[in-house]
Amino acid sequence: MRSVGVIFRREFAAYFNSPIAYIFIIVFLLLTSVLFMLNFFLMGQASMMGYFGTLPLLLVFFIPAVSMRLWAEDRRQGTFELLMTLPMRPHQVMLGKYLAALAFFAVALAGSLPIPIMLNALGNPDNGVLVSGYLGSLLMGAVYLSVGIFTSGLMRDQISAFILGVMACVIMWLLGQPNTAAVIDGWLAGLGSMLQQYLGMTSHFEPMTQGVIALGDVVYFLALSGLFLVLNALWLEGRKY
Amino acid sequence: MIEVRDVTKRYGTTVALDRVSFQVEQGRILGFLGPNGAGKSTTMKIITTFLAPDSGRVTVGGIDVLERPLAVRGRIGYLPENVPLYHDMIVDEYLEFVGRARGLDGSRLRQRFEFCVDTCGLQGELKKHIGELSKGYRQRTGLAQALIHDPDILILDEPTSGLDPLQIIEIRQLISRLAGEKTVIFSTHILQEVSPVTDRVVIINEGQVVADGLIGELTERAMGDNRVFVGVRRAAAEVEPALRELARLSELRVLTTTDPGVCRFELRAPFRHDLVGAVAELAGARGWPLDELHESRYSLEDTFIALTRASGAKREVA
Repeated sequence: MRSVGVIFRREFAAYFNSPIAYIFIIVFLLLTSVLFMLNFFLMGQASMMGYFGTLPLLLVFFIPAVSMRLWAEDRRQGTFELLMTLPMRPHQVMLGKYLAALAFFAVALAGSLPIPIMLNALGNPDNGVLVSGYLGSLLMGAVYLSVGIFTSGLMRDQISAFILGVMACVIMWLLGQPNTAAVIDGWLAGLGSMLQQYLGMTSHFEPMTQGVIALGDVVYFLALSGLFLVLNALWLEGRKY
Repeated sequence: MIEVRDVTKRYGTTVALDRVSFQVEQGRILGFLGPNGAGKSTTMKIITTFLAPDSGRVTVGGIDVLERPLAVRGRIGYLPENVPLYHDMIVDEYLEFVGRARGLDGSRLRQRFEFCVDTCGLQGELKKHIGELSKGYRQRTGLAQALIHDPDILILDEPTSGLDPLQIIEIRQLISRLAGEKTVIFSTHILQEVSPVTDRVVIINEGQVVADGLIGELTERAMGDNRVFVGVRRAAAEVEPALRELARLSELRVLTTTDPGVCRFELRAPFRHDLVGAVAELAGARGWPLDELHESRYSLEDTFIALTRASGAKREVA
């Protein structure tokens, strides 16, 4: 656990060592807030449904940008060899990196807190629903990040890691769309719905933005993240170069 | 202390290491020599548990690298060929990070930190970004990183590559200072770097160990004999018969000379035989004015070339 903490601290600090982190946070907040505010006055509702509604697609592009450096950068600058010869297990290094990326995403997400504060000033939002929405966003981010850290390991440079990560996340997002599921169901009955259920996150995320925290959905997000982390750990143990 | 036995490693269809075996005793320094691409780095990556061998066995202090890699990693300080530095970090942050990741804490960390900064001469650079450091300081930071947990074993992959002559001497001195206390393997493809630091070498070529031993012994084995050049200010007819009488002389060649009063010869004798002494004694007894008397020492380079050529030739025949 101590080892995970040491890696976590370095990786988390590394995000803020470069201007990219600040650019990322600003662009993320600007884009999500602008998309939200466009409709906010039309809707006239003290809720963040619209805000959370943009996240499944936006995170497809934002999360791989957070995770792309996790392994690719270490492999490019040679520090991968340092990390893999430290007296700790490879999966401890991986967890430290993953949690640091998750914490960074949480910081970016926390940057949107002025919105719920504004809602409370303007009207009477259901704060329980807002908390549930934030929890759902964090969990969804956790899944995308686990996909991203896995794809980062497969690539030696960050741009390829980013593109591969976006591709993987886009596929997951598409699988979650009812239209895609219907098309795949047309090819092989039941397959589309099954993929939508297991890999498409939207159906698990939407209830949370409406204030329903079902144990099943939380377990789903955690299990899916765990799956990609296990894949990443297997890759680390089995690498041959 | 470190034992490498019959280690084979393939990358796809290329054989990077072919039944490599050698060992290093505790407190000794081993120079690990070979041309680029011979398998030096691969061997070091296997000893440090970064890579697993396809077959064979490596033990470090009696611990098998495949069975208990974490225990092995704890005892080794490793400087890879690509110095593993985080360019976005500040030097002292970086060393502290590696120290903590290696399990150091509190006063022990502070004490080791100061020792490494001192030993590697990093005092003036502590607050700089690693990305701004010169090549020499990067190498030193890499070395400090390898020393931070006070390992009994140091694996240094080309520690002097890319440094200027003065920096090379500093790194050499640093390695020499560690002798006796630590077991060191350092690799290089520059031969002159080995002899000031150690006399024990392993030479590897195309994935195979072609020589293992003391530099002197290897030279003897590779070259066979010892060459001496003699110039005497006398007529060749007088000198040559006397030289031929010398004990254990294996060959005598008359050399051309630009000065008509001087005759010159090249003599050969078995490696350990003190031919220079014998010639000097003879000249003294006969009262010859010596114009020239020196032994042509085979350099490590000659040895290296002879040994790697021999292994290449053997392979072609096979």
